Amino acid sequence: MKKLITYSLFLFAFIQLSGCSMAQLTVKASMPMIEGGMLALNREPDLQLAEAAMPPNIELMEGMVINDPNNDTLRNHLAQAYYGYAFGFIEDSNPERAARFYRRGLNHALYNLNNSGLNRNTITGDLESLQSALNNISKSNIAALFWAASNWAMWIDLNRDSTVALADLPRAVMLMQKAYDIDDSFYMAGPHIFFGVYYGSRSPMLGGNFKQAEKHFDQARQINNNQLLIVDLLQAKYLDRQKFDQESFHKRLSKLVNNTDQLNIDMTLVNNIARKKAQLLLNKESQWF
Amino acid sequence: MVLKKLFIGFIKVCSVFLAVQTSTFAKDSYILKFATLIPSDTVWMKSIVQWSEELEQKSNGRLQLKIYPGGVMGDEPDVLRKIRSRQLHGAFFTGYGIGRIYPPARVLEMPFLFHNTAESDYVRQQLMPEIEQGFRDKGFELIGWPEVGFLHFFSKHPINSLEELKQRHIWLWQGDPMGQAFAKAAGVSPVPLSIMDVYTQLSAQHGSIDTVYNSPFGALAMQWHTKLKYASNVPMTNAIGSLVVSERFFKKLPADLKTLLKDSGKVVAEKINQHSRRDNEESISLLKQSGITFMWDWNDTEKAEMISIRDRAAEMLDENEYIPTRYFDQTRNILEQYRKQTALKHNQ
Repeated sequence: MKKLITYSLFLFAFIQLSGCSMAQLTVKASMPMIEGGMLALNREPDLQLAEAAMPPNIELMEGMVINDPNNDTLRNHLAQAYYGYAFGFIEDSNPERAARFYRRGLNHALYNLNNSGLNRNTITGDLESLQSALNNISKSNIAALFWAASNWAMWIDLNRDSTVALADLPRAVMLMQKAYDIDDSFYMAGPHIFFGVYYGSRSPMLGGNFKQAEKHFDQARQINNNQLLIVDLLQAKYLDRQKFDQESFHKRLSKLVNNTDQLNIDMTLVNNIARKKAQLLLNKESQWF
Repeated sequence: MVLKKLFIGFIKVCSVFLAVQTSTFAKDSYILKFATLIPSDTVWMKSIVQWSEELEQKSNGRLQLKIYPGGVMGDEPDVLRKIRSRQLHGAFFTGYGIGRIYPPARVLEMPFLFHNTAESDYVRQQLMPEIEQGFRDKGFELIGWPEVGFLHFFSKHPINSLEELKQRHIWLWQGDPMGQAFAKAAGVSPVPLSIMDVYTQLSAQHGSIDTVYNSPFGALAMQWHTKLKYASNVPMTNAIGSLVVSERFFKKLPADLKTLLKDSGKVVAEKINQHSRRDNEESISLLKQSGITFMWDWNDTEKAEMISIRDRAAEMLDENEYIPTRYFDQTRNILEQYRKQTALKHNQ
């Protein structure tokens, strides 16, 4: 009995000292399951199953965030999940809804950045102050920087008719540049893919740079050992289209659609999404060229 | 034998029918290749895309617009050349491109002429029949008249006076007679560059320019604002724009498609005008939020100096027959008349 009381007191003291509530401890203890779930989802070959599985997972994580609002890993996972769900399953059929999900993903990543000293006023304020703040941000924030920039860029892309979105673009680019400087191979070379799209989707008059874009796409392919099909999808969608290179567009996407190689198992879902989207882009070929 | 003859006859009839069908289809469907400097990720471009959808839908697919946005077909002179060589059929041109078709239309861009858009709208409306004819005489059909908006100076360095402005490396749209005349009249030595090179030169550490002019929305849409820190408060002029189609292409269209193109073009131009005015206003506060400082409020002496520069430039433009004085006088007379009418209404 004495032991039990001592143990209970010790547990109580531990919880108090660590600043964690019981709910937060439960959330922290559940993190390996969330991470396991994400891994399983990334390996899921069936798009329908993946599409159905994502919303409950998102809701579960949202519930966990309520209990543990400063859990930065969880918020980064949510930012990633919103991005993946919107990009993979929503934006082609319902861009407005996808934009709302990108915004929610962005907000989770911004929450983390705010906790790391990069507050929203700085992020949405003048560009020089943002750059100074980014110069001082720690490398450990790479996930938040990456998911904030990724979600933001997609939100901007889907809100092309908003002047606010145009004004936000350099901010998203600055966040991603910082992520790139920290680790260009982060999340399947995501920073390279981002800049491939950024330089490839704009005409040279607007800061586009086709050579730079190609270089980034090539780097992304190299870092992923040619296992990530999304690189080809985005190169066709943005760079080939911007260059009015119909032949490359057609060839790249047809190759992607017909690709039956056994690729990296951890990229199964994203590769199947790339195959599906490639077909949608091929359907637009005559309209675009 | 009879059956064979009948069969051959049937085949002949079918062949003739098919030939007629094919040629009708070929003659009756048109693709208008249309280029613009407008970036694809803007509301203006969205309006043009909607216009394209409307044309296709209302013509039952007989008239389609193939759009080349964001300067992918080159600077405006390149686009004009491509229209003349039939690679393209139409474009959205700014005043710069308009000047290469029918220069007198740029009288509407004379600096410090209009106090507000109500004035420029009225004068433009009065001059429009003459401008439309001017375009037609030069082989272009004017479809719509969307404006770019009021132009400001943007710089990497503070601009608080004409003297400071003279020290800057100011971009001049290469080969623009109007810009050249103003630079000469103001004693400024600009750096002529194609608009395609402005972003690169602003981005370069030792770029050849540090000061440019654009509408607030233009500076934002082209992301020039990320390379600049200051802007002038007083706008120079309300920059014009136009939707044009080559006369050669336009003449080929059947009457119903001509009407559809012109009517819908006017509507889309008006829509862009509304967006332009709203977006330019919004852009000023967004530019300020991004760190651009707006400065330089003129005093009366500076204002008088600027107007005298404008008048000296107007003389030069008359001398080189770019904008004959009679157009400038006519414009000022219409404006004067409008101001009198408006004042009268206010007094009543």
